[in-house]
Amino acid sequence: MASKTLVLPGETISPDILPTPTNPNLLLKLGPGLRHVPPSTITSTIAGPLCIDQKKNAIWVENNSGRYIPQPNDLIIATVHHSSTDFYSCSITPHTTFPQLPQLAFEGATKKTRPQLNSGSLIYARVLTASKHTDPEIVCYNPSTGKSEGMGELKGGMVFDISLGLARRVLMAKQREDGGIAVLEEIAENVAFEVAVGRNGKVWVKSGGVKETLLVGRALQEADVQGLGVEEQVKLVRKMIRQV
Amino acid sequence: MPREAEPSINERAFVLQALEENIRLDGRALDAFRDIDISFGDDYGVADVQLGKTRVLTRISASIVAPYPDRKFDGVFVIITELSPLASPAFEVGRQSDLETHLSRILETTLRRSQAISTESLCLVAGQKVWSLRADIHILSHCGNLVTAASLATLAALRQYRIPDTSIKGGELTVYTPLERDPIPLALLHHPLCITLNYFENGEKMIVDATLQEQQCSEGEVVVAANPQGEVCLVQKGGGGEVDALVLLRAVDMAVGKVRELGKLVDRALEKDSKMRDKGGISAELSAENER
Amino acid sequence: MVNVTLSPLYRADGSATFTSNGYSVIAAVNGPIEVQRRDELPEEAAIDVAIRPAAGVGGVRERHLESIIQNTLRHVILVSAHPRTLIQITLQIVASQDDSLYPGNLPQAASNVPVLPALLQASILALLSASIPLSMTLTATLISVKENGGVAPSPSAQDLEAATSIHVLAFSSHGDLLVVESEGYFTMDTWEKVYAKARLICHGEKEEDSESEDLSMDTEEVTKLEDILKDAVRQKVAAEYRWKQSPDSAAT
Repeated sequence: MASKTLVLPGETISPDILPTPTNPNLLLKLGPGLRHVPPSTITSTIAGPLCIDQKKNAIWVENNSGRYIPQPNDLIIATVHHSSTDFYSCSITPHTTFPQLPQLAFEGATKKTRPQLNSGSLIYARVLTASKHTDPEIVCYNPSTGKSEGMGELKGGMVFDISLGLARRVLMAKQREDGGIAVLEEIAENVAFEVAVGRNGKVWVKSGGVKETLLVGRALQEADVQGLGVEEQVKLVRKMIRQV
Repeated sequence: MPREAEPSINERAFVLQALEENIRLDGRALDAFRDIDISFGDDYGVADVQLGKTRVLTRISASIVAPYPDRKFDGVFVIITELSPLASPAFEVGRQSDLETHLSRILETTLRRSQAISTESLCLVAGQKVWSLRADIHILSHCGNLVTAASLATLAALRQYRIPDTSIKGGELTVYTPLERDPIPLALLHHPLCITLNYFENGEKMIVDATLQEQQCSEGEVVVAANPQGEVCLVQKGGGGEVDALVLLRAVDMAVGKVRELGKLVDRALEKDSKMRDKGGISAELSAENER
Repeated sequence: MVNVTLSPLYRADGSATFTSNGYSVIAAVNGPIEVQRRDELPEEAAIDVAIRPAAGVGGVRERHLESIIQNTLRHVILVSAHPRTLIQITLQIVASQDDSLYPGNLPQAASNVPVLPALLQASILALLSASIPLSMTLTATLISVKENGGVAPSPSAQDLEAATSIHVLAFSSHGDLLVVESEGYFTMDTWEKVYAKARLICHGEKEEDSESEDLSMDTEEVTKLEDILKDAVRQKVAAEYRWKQSPDSAAT
């Protein structure tokens, strides 16, 4: 699926390796880390492996470091910083401008039934709009269906920091096959827990007790730091469960 | 708005809940340190200390200055701490934060006021020329317990530093380069270190070497500076939460034990370093060139 | 001997250490973060460079170097990608050559220039580590000219003392000259020689055959600086994607 060539910023992507669309109507999609210099040059802007998806006619540069930049439709875990009349100001990453969460952007929220969030509350939300010129707007429901779809305030539990790359992998549809993540499935066989993953490099875990919650969080962090493969993750989880 | 982000309600509650069950998030015992690594630079007097994810680099340097007129026989020893955005985006360039003042005050009391370094030994020509010794403490990564990391780095650097040798003939002062004469170690009278204890539940529970998150969730902290002989140089309680007086005694007791533990670590790191510098077993006394 | 580590620090968004020729620099990049109102630019990211000397507080020398680096990086970073934000670069000098030269004095360099290549290189590596969008990368080197007109790359402290002129040159990854800082007396011919040598070290391509190479220099050990940059990134990526290459998944 993805071919591995390493690019540094400023390299021109040769037109030969661009994906050839099966359907001529499908336009070439440039993902993160690439820019189009008119008329027809494509250059890289960040360092990392160049990935190509022939089926979707897409090309992008993967990266695992740096600060999270909000993108529309990303699921994120944010902290409420303060509240004003119509909005909650939340923090996705520290030291950036606060994205706004309308107080009515919850499932079934009306002026009377809207949830009251204190500063310091955690929320699971989706980025509605984000562009470089405006502050992002986030919502806790799906605007097309009006349903919460798991978003909203996160009560109890604990948040763990993970790398942006791991967050992306855990959120993939086929966690084990595409993302190479076996930790969560493996733990779920023995321990019941709830989990929410934010693209901003945060995982929220809630379970019966402190030990169980820590098990999930630490297993993920461990797999992240050491770059464990599926098999190794299974081994790690079994070892950790035995210890608890 | 450069301020360290506060932990969320959930995180705070979880940390406290875990501590109630005597569990720390990284799996350490309540009185255990994170992994400590002490390394030295190529030049004398540069110590790099990693305490888990906290990292502090201290550099000692010396220059010749005129002494203060009221202290003709004393050399000068200054400690400079500066927190830069290197350590955390919460720090601003060129603006002194409370943490910085807190840190340099504690180190100042621990090392200077406790006479760890004898300023008389830094005097070259009374009333005219003295050594001005300077410890630049660079905080590279701030992940909790800066006080211990900084005091470890500074003590290690001071103990490893070699000051240029000098001689006075007919009132003329000569400073020798390392090639001419081996530089000499500083005269340290004792080796004090700082331990920070963060307390919870009105001082019922105390933890050593708190991470930034634990620090933010704690009710307050007690800083104890002592030397491995068990002599206490400083006790400071901060953070507001009220504690029983006996708690402080307990804290001092605990800290003295920890100082001994860390003191041994510094000893070992210095031993390893001097072996490395003394390549091939040729004693440093034989030739000055081997030092470098 | 050039030594590079990417992302050694935990709190900064991106960081790097660069050690070469007796100079060692730690760089950290934070960004894009919120910018103070007075520094805010409506169409582009503000770039803030702070240099902290190994000992003592920064002075005129540091401000001068900061301005050179800031002006260079403004053209390297795609500032329009993150308008109304701040990209903050902090450079900590850990060791420099002139530290041990004068006993009894604070390590303060006689010249501003020699530490510049390490600063530039460390900042570009930290920017890579922070995944800040760049239009190119750069490589920089220090070259001194001896009294006999010989060109010496990676000069030692003694070489610098004896040199008639010293030069810092930085090249973009496209091979264009980005920064030149020269000190001392030299002729245009000497400069051409310096340019050819520096380009060879940084970018690798020889423009002309430089015959007057210094004898003491070992041509073998010249590794293109660009390759060192790429190797550092390759190592980091390999560590991050270890899960993909790990034995079990390779077997399937």
